[in-house]
Amino acid sequence: MIRRLAWLTMAACVVFVAIVPLVYVIDAQFYRETRVGLANDRSLVAFVDVFSSAEYLGFLANALVLAGVVTVLSLLIGVGWALVIGRTDMRGKRTWDTLITLPLYLSPFTGLMAWIALGSEKTGFVNVVLMAVLRPFVAQPQPVFNIWSYAGVVYVMTLFFCPLVYLFTVGSLRGMNTALEEAARTSGASPLTVVLKITLPLCMPAIFASGLLVFILGAELYTIPGIIGSTAGFTTLPWRIFQDSTAVPVHRAHAAAGGTMLLLITVVGVWLQGRLTRVGERFVTVGGKGFNGRPLSLGAWRVVAWLALAGYVVAADLLPFGALLVSSVMKYSAGVITAEVLTSKHYAMFFTTQNMLGALWNTIFLAVLSGAVCVVVGFLISYSELRRPGWATKGLAFLAVLPVAVPGLVYGLGLLWTFLRTPLYGTVWILLLAYVAKFLPYGVIVSRTGLMQLHPELSESARMSGASAGRTMLSISMPLLKPTLMAILFFVMLMSIKELSASVLLYSQDSEVLSVLTWHYMDNGDYQFAAAIGFVQTLIMMGVVFLAQAIFRVRLDRAFGRETPA
Amino acid sequence: MISRVLRWAAVAAVCLGIVPAWAQTDAGLYEAAKKEGTVVWYVGGPLEGMNAIAGQFQKEFPGVKIETMRLVGIAQYQRFMDETGAKKYIADLLQNTDYPSISQLAEDGHIAAWKVPTFDRIPPQFRLKEFAYAQYASTNGIVYNVNKVTPDEVKLLESDWAAILDPRFKGRFSASPMKCGVCYAPVHMFMDPKFKDRYGAAFIDKIAAQKPASYSEVLVTIDRVIAGEQDFTISGWEAAAAVKLLDGAPIRWVFPKPTPEFGNSWLGISKYAPHPNATRLFMNWLMGDAGQIAMEKLYGSKGTLSGVPEQRPYVNDAWYHAPVEYYAVDWKRWDENYHKDMDLWAAALKRAK
Repeated sequence: MIRRLAWLTMAACVVFVAIVPLVYVIDAQFYRETRVGLANDRSLVAFVDVFSSAEYLGFLANALVLAGVVTVLSLLIGVGWALVIGRTDMRGKRTWDTLITLPLYLSPFTGLMAWIALGSEKTGFVNVVLMAVLRPFVAQPQPVFNIWSYAGVVYVMTLFFCPLVYLFTVGSLRGMNTALEEAARTSGASPLTVVLKITLPLCMPAIFASGLLVFILGAELYTIPGIIGSTAGFTTLPWRIFQDSTAVPVHRAHAAAGGTMLLLITVVGVWLQGRLTRVGERFVTVGGKGFNGRPLSLGAWRVVAWLALAGYVVAADLLPFGALLVSSVMKYSAGVITAEVLTSKHYAMFFTTQNMLGALWNTIFLAVLSGAVCVVVGFLISYSELRRPGWATKGLAFLAVLPVAVPGLVYGLGLLWTFLRTPLYGTVWILLLAYVAKFLPYGVIVSRTGLMQLHPELSESARMSGASAGRTMLSISMPLLKPTLMAILFFVMLMSIKELSASVLLYSQDSEVLSVLTWHYMDNGDYQFAAAIGFVQTLIMMGVVFLAQAIFRVRLDRAFGRETPA
Repeated sequence: MISRVLRWAAVAAVCLGIVPAWAQTDAGLYEAAKKEGTVVWYVGGPLEGMNAIAGQFQKEFPGVKIETMRLVGIAQYQRFMDETGAKKYIADLLQNTDYPSISQLAEDGHIAAWKVPTFDRIPPQFRLKEFAYAQYASTNGIVYNVNKVTPDEVKLLESDWAAILDPRFKGRFSASPMKCGVCYAPVHMFMDPKFKDRYGAAFIDKIAAQKPASYSEVLVTIDRVIAGEQDFTISGWEAAAAVKLLDGAPIRWVFPKPTPEFGNSWLGISKYAPHPNATRLFMNWLMGDAGQIAMEKLYGSKGTLSGVPEQRPYVNDAWYHAPVEYYAVDWKRWDENYHKDMDLWAAALKRAK
């Protein structure tokens, strides 16, 4: 009885925090628009315009095509690295793990600043260096890289999302029972056949979950496609939603309808995920019996793999982090770095600027707390969905995932309207609710994937030995899933630190966070100070993850991969 | 004559720091302000500059703290109205960059009337009855990279906006389709019916034929000029360029004839201000000599209060030529045509690709 009551309370909270704002958003599209907001009378104009006009459908198509291209590329690269690190005898795995996941510590818009400095056609550091190198050999070397193009958008977004795919798939590959691979190899299958026919299919839940996340995040991202896209000549739906929400005359109903459109895409995605992984036992790789796998031997391919990984590390880590650091110590943007453009004033300003230290504290506080809440609630939702399937548990799991799809700007408005009349408004607590609602889907999706790979025989044995359901969950499922739960904790903490679009709508003078301040300074054109804040933000993310790793004795790269139980 | 001498003497005393600012103001207001202790200022202007100005006020009026929160343009209007609708009265003072928004708020009775002591020294185009005052003026110009544009070309650009159509500038400059006040001001002027033969939609088409690079964010256009990626931008304005110039960036700017100038960052006191006395004290200071001097020194934009000694350091440089022919915006047409004109402008820039 008490357990049921607790579950009902949690369900009610989830519905209130995650779904009520969505209802506000969906409802908002059915109002008439005024120059500055919504009128009191109803209208279908915005709904019809967004869902039927060639203009908006074109923006949606642009967003979906871009997200699709980025997802495919991210899956190819991310799963590729996961295979190399998780299933082969590649050396230096710990180092590679860290290097591959490093871009996670960069937020999209600080990363974008770095890539503008690196990849601009005439003055980007990359082109300046390349042209200097080529000049002795070519009469008039041309720029080889232009970030202000469609390819530039795809490139930058792919680099951002590869680590996500890697983290979500390397775990499954590491923790996989190798008995099937061994059997295939013994039967004469080539290594490639083993990977394509055995390894990857077994890893499908993780691959699909990561692909779905990347697709949804790619489809709702507005900063990179928006800022570069308008120069390159294309507009995506999230960028149009951003413009509809922020530029005069405001089109709030259009923005809400656009958000609903993206929400529908996610509903389809989540439904597809459920269909494709519905036979859970097909993906069980952690059972009650231990195993020791033999990694695939790379042989002569090790050099090729090493070079490819090194190239990736240069592109994804060295260049953007280097550019961000260099930008943060420059007085203004310049293609050639000389002593006269260098300054350390931005780092001094960090500690003297009003609100900065408060923002720093709020950022860390919210990251830790939202991470913890998403771990616990996400796990409980998935656990009840998989271990006690029923319309209520499945329905709750479905509802909890929905906010992931709605662009933060639109969802933030829903949260604002939901909590405006409560005492939470104007405090850090409303930001906490926003982060929990926005990132709980990751808690649900990732813990569901982990639980699906955990054979119920383990829990059943405990129950047969007389343990209660709660005791079984605490003593069997949670310890076995500890690395997965830690993965959620790390991931949500990182996402919370980087979150901007909802924060910018909900913060107050007492609850500023670093991402909002970075955005303000970028918006003011003070890109170098924004780069300094972005760099400090990156260091904080690393520090928070390092501390969490030390406290829980789990490494981030291992967290997403469950260790083989002995 | 005597009053003018006294005024200049007072200004000089403030500049020299002889007379503390609090000593010149209504002692009762300051005492009441100290009891309230805080002003929550919703700022639309750049945070760093506004924080610096607020810091100067705090130095001059110990005991009154300014808490800034940045909300730009229409987002500020919406946030304020959402809060007002929910009876959550947080903001004391609004600084809004969108004139129609502040005008609407005043019209709807959300802004308190407050006649600042310097009211008569604020030109009519920079005040909205007794409800709101433009803290500074924005002046549009062409911002160029000194290493990319020759002195002859600078002279040509300074002559008239039509100079950008010169074949030598094809593919060398940038613009922004962003919807904001300073972005719209030149377009507003080009589309002015009185300039229909000189500029108009045909002129915008000709600009597009010059193949300008288009950046979604207006400040990116200036940043790209500083970096040397573009030679100049036609979406520039003095305050934004001045901040970078003072940092040592290799840029300067010219004011082609005619030069759009309009009141920006409109200050209005919320009718529901939780700290009304502190807010009025701060408003008096911002629109007084000391506040305007602080603004010009710390932010670099041109103040709107007449009779204040020039503080902008670059105006005495040889390259700097003040505008010779101002263009005053028509707020009514601005409000009516903003969206339509900016869509036309954005479409032209898109065609330029």
